[in-house]
Amino acid sequence: MSIRLALAGNPNCGKTTMFNDLTGATQYVGNWPGVTVEKKEGRWKADKEIRITDLPGIYSLSPYTLEEVVARDYLVGEKPDAIMDLVDASNIERNLYLTTQLLEMGIPVVVALNMMDIVEKRGDVIDVKKLSSLLGVPVVETAAVKGKGTKELVEAAKKAVSAGKLPPQHEFPENIEKALQQITDMIAGVTEESQRRWYAVKLFERDQKVMARFQFSVDTQAKLEAIISAVEEELDDDAESIITDARYQYIGGIVKACVKKKKTGMTVSDKIDHIVTNRILALPIFALVMFIVYYVSVTTVGTILTDWANDGVFGDGWHLAGYGAGAYEEAGAEYETQTAYRDAWLAAAEEGGVDVSAITEQLEAEEPDADVLAGATAALAADASAADIVGTAAFEDEETGTVTEEAVDFGMFETAMAAEEPDPANYGIWVPGIPVLLEGALGGLGIADWLYSLIMDGIVAGVGAVLGFVPQILVLFIFLALLEDCGYMARVAFIMDRIFRKFGLSGKSFIPMLIGTGCGVPGVMASRTIEQERDRRMTIMTTTFVPCGAKLPIIALIAGALFDNAGWVAFSAYVIGVLAIIVSGIMLKKFRMFAGEPAPFVMELPAYHTPTLVNVLRSMWERGWSFIKKAGTIILLSTIVLWFLQSYGWENGAFGAVENIDNCILAGIGNALAPIFAPLGWASWQNVVATVTGWIAKENVVATFGQTYGFAEVAEDGVEIWANLQASFTAVSAYSFMCFNLLCAPCFAAMGAIKREMNNAKWTCFAIGYMMVFAYAVALMVYQFGGLLTGELSFGVGTIAAVIVLALMIYLLVRKPAKADGAEGLRKMSVQA
Amino acid sequence: MPLTMIDAGVETTVKQIHGRDQTRRFLQNLGFVEGAKVRVVSSLQGNLIVSVKDVRVAISQQMASRIYV
Repeated sequence: MSIRLALAGNPNCGKTTMFNDLTGATQYVGNWPGVTVEKKEGRWKADKEIRITDLPGIYSLSPYTLEEVVARDYLVGEKPDAIMDLVDASNIERNLYLTTQLLEMGIPVVVALNMMDIVEKRGDVIDVKKLSSLLGVPVVETAAVKGKGTKELVEAAKKAVSAGKLPPQHEFPENIEKALQQITDMIAGVTEESQRRWYAVKLFERDQKVMARFQFSVDTQAKLEAIISAVEEELDDDAESIITDARYQYIGGIVKACVKKKKTGMTVSDKIDHIVTNRILALPIFALVMFIVYYVSVTTVGTILTDWANDGVFGDGWHLAGYGAGAYEEAGAEYETQTAYRDAWLAAAEEGGVDVSAITEQLEAEEPDADVLAGATAALAADASAADIVGTAAFEDEETGTVTEEAVDFGMFETAMAAEEPDPANYGIWVPGIPVLLEGALGGLGIADWLYSLIMDGIVAGVGAVLGFVPQILVLFIFLALLEDCGYMARVAFIMDRIFRKFGLSGKSFIPMLIGTGCGVPGVMASRTIEQERDRRMTIMTTTFVPCGAKLPIIALIAGALFDNAGWVAFSAYVIGVLAIIVSGIMLKKFRMFAGEPAPFVMELPAYHTPTLVNVLRSMWERGWSFIKKAGTIILLSTIVLWFLQSYGWENGAFGAVENIDNCILAGIGNALAPIFAPLGWASWQNVVATVTGWIAKENVVATFGQTYGFAEVAEDGVEIWANLQASFTAVSAYSFMCFNLLCAPCFAAMGAIKREMNNAKWTCFAIGYMMVFAYAVALMVYQFGGLLTGELSFGVGTIAAVIVLALMIYLLVRKPAKADGAEGLRKMSVQA
Repeated sequence: MPLTMIDAGVETTVKQIHGRDQTRRFLQNLGFVEGAKVRVVSSLQGNLIVSVKDVRVAISQQMASRIYV
């Protein structure tokens, strides 16, 4: 017979760890119906017949937060066979508050007293037997972190289920009990006996959701109201506070009887907080921590891993554990020297009137023929005039910049001509990349050309580009998990709250934006910790304004091609990102759906503790896996579509794979869309198509420019196409192009993350639409006003449009905020460990 | 007086909680009930970290000013 158990408890009581320990790999993560609250289900490792549902971490069963509603709907509606109530023994008083409510649900309860080790370390003593007898339910000591007591807990729950004994009810003070009795009588006919107590208490509290369920007649409602207000008058407080107070009174009694406290002042955690959240040190410490996280995961370790993934696994290949890489590099450098000798001698020969065209022509060909080269060299050796030619090869020392020159005679030239480009596979242990392997495998199969092209150019190139970021993202996630698990993340939100509140966001919005500088996908995903829906939506909408790692090549391209590599361009990109967030925050607040103060900041701060490896790795993997899954679905699909649009079209009157990229469907779309972007100053189809492919992955923008301008492959900063860009753009229109691409909809991976976190198609469309409109508005103003200043544009319709946009923006910025749409429920206020 | 005026490290007792019902209930659920002992652990530009019932709770200035001690 299968048994259904529910795991309930406060946030930060070790529930997630407990659940992981109980269910291991059998868990299934989804969402509770209709809400973005995560629902986890699994089966007990030791007995698959026992199903366990992890309820959200909650402080009470009031109807004010989504998590609480989800939890109580489950307990009332689905009636699990027993509740395992996880209680953090180190703050037992507050944790028992939820317990008193769970005891009223009409379901057998087993209390798990977790974190007893902390209690013992503190020198406190809890009398478990007495606690069990006072509560009237079994109490099991557990240490979820060490996996201790979890088996006993489930066994106790099993026993409770088979005994079928409901927990005894604690008594409220007499006058409340009397009122509860009256209410119980009123609902006796329409409720199950076991749940009557819970309904009575909730009705006494005037719980709107429960009231709605009963659909009382006006008469009954008046009677109920009379019962409640009589007690309220007597105790001079509102019904809900009366119940809360009574519960804490009751708990106070239990704690007094069972817990012996050693009087202590500041705990270690308090002492750390004294420094870390110190008025003077808080920000510097925070900046230092962030710098380390950013530095390691984005620049040093992250870059190494990304290069490895992009150029190795999804490129030509890599040297296993770096073995052979050094030797290969040396050989490569030697080859370069030889090439320099060769070119120097050839240049000198040309000047000296020796005919070397056979060699230079061959060298310029895509795949030079070695035999022809060898023949031509041999012919030169016979030519007496060649022997006297001496070239000069110049080498610049990269570090010092000093240039040394070397004379190259014909003998050196001959050696240089014989030099072969080293093959990395000949050095150390060479592991070929996935494309190389696939190429070999597919070549052997003899599949159709279009299928080969789809797999290699479409899927491998597209999905590979995204998966290449996985290692870097995993490093970032490890840091995040560390910061979360040790308790610092909750403090970050606290420290940043005062600053972010000024433009309508809460302190918890900072973390997603910070992560967004690396990659927008985990950035958007990190918005989960923001409880209030309104704040979370705003954060999701603005997080991807921060330039992520993949947008840097776009910035480098524009800065290089049109601004002489000026440093201020990259800096200004970050400034624009931050300004976009601030301006959006203030503007969005003026609309009714976002109106109102950010949720008042209330958050439980978990005690600092050493992170556990299992928790950190599990958290990293959970987040990383969801990113990988996304790459496997939405990105896969979009790359296939894009590949098709890019490879097919009408050419010479027939539809098929196109030779010239100007004829592909994508170019047609680009041309159709181009007029829309004319007011932004970059209406050529290449620019439009580059923007479109940027939505697949932002690093595509540079590559697409390369393809559309007819280059097979371009460097990351696109140095080859600078000339083309200089012809196509002015400084102002290039800057407008950059602004648009930085601020408009992010890549598909990030859009997928937005959709997942919004959990609502309408909001997803709104978010992406907003980014598009905002990006367009900014780019329009940049081009129109910038053009007017530099004199390349004269006053016209575009200028008027830009002025209107600017006026609208200023109006939204200074306008009085809209009235809030009623008080929205405070959502669970805690960062889940 | 409101909790915002209490120095760090001093332990006091909650007398009353003012404000909108919902905010008040939330504070109550977290353990800020009449008679509860509270201590300010740290304060940062008006935002407070408060110790109540063995738990550290971070609250904004705006919330703290509703807790009378």
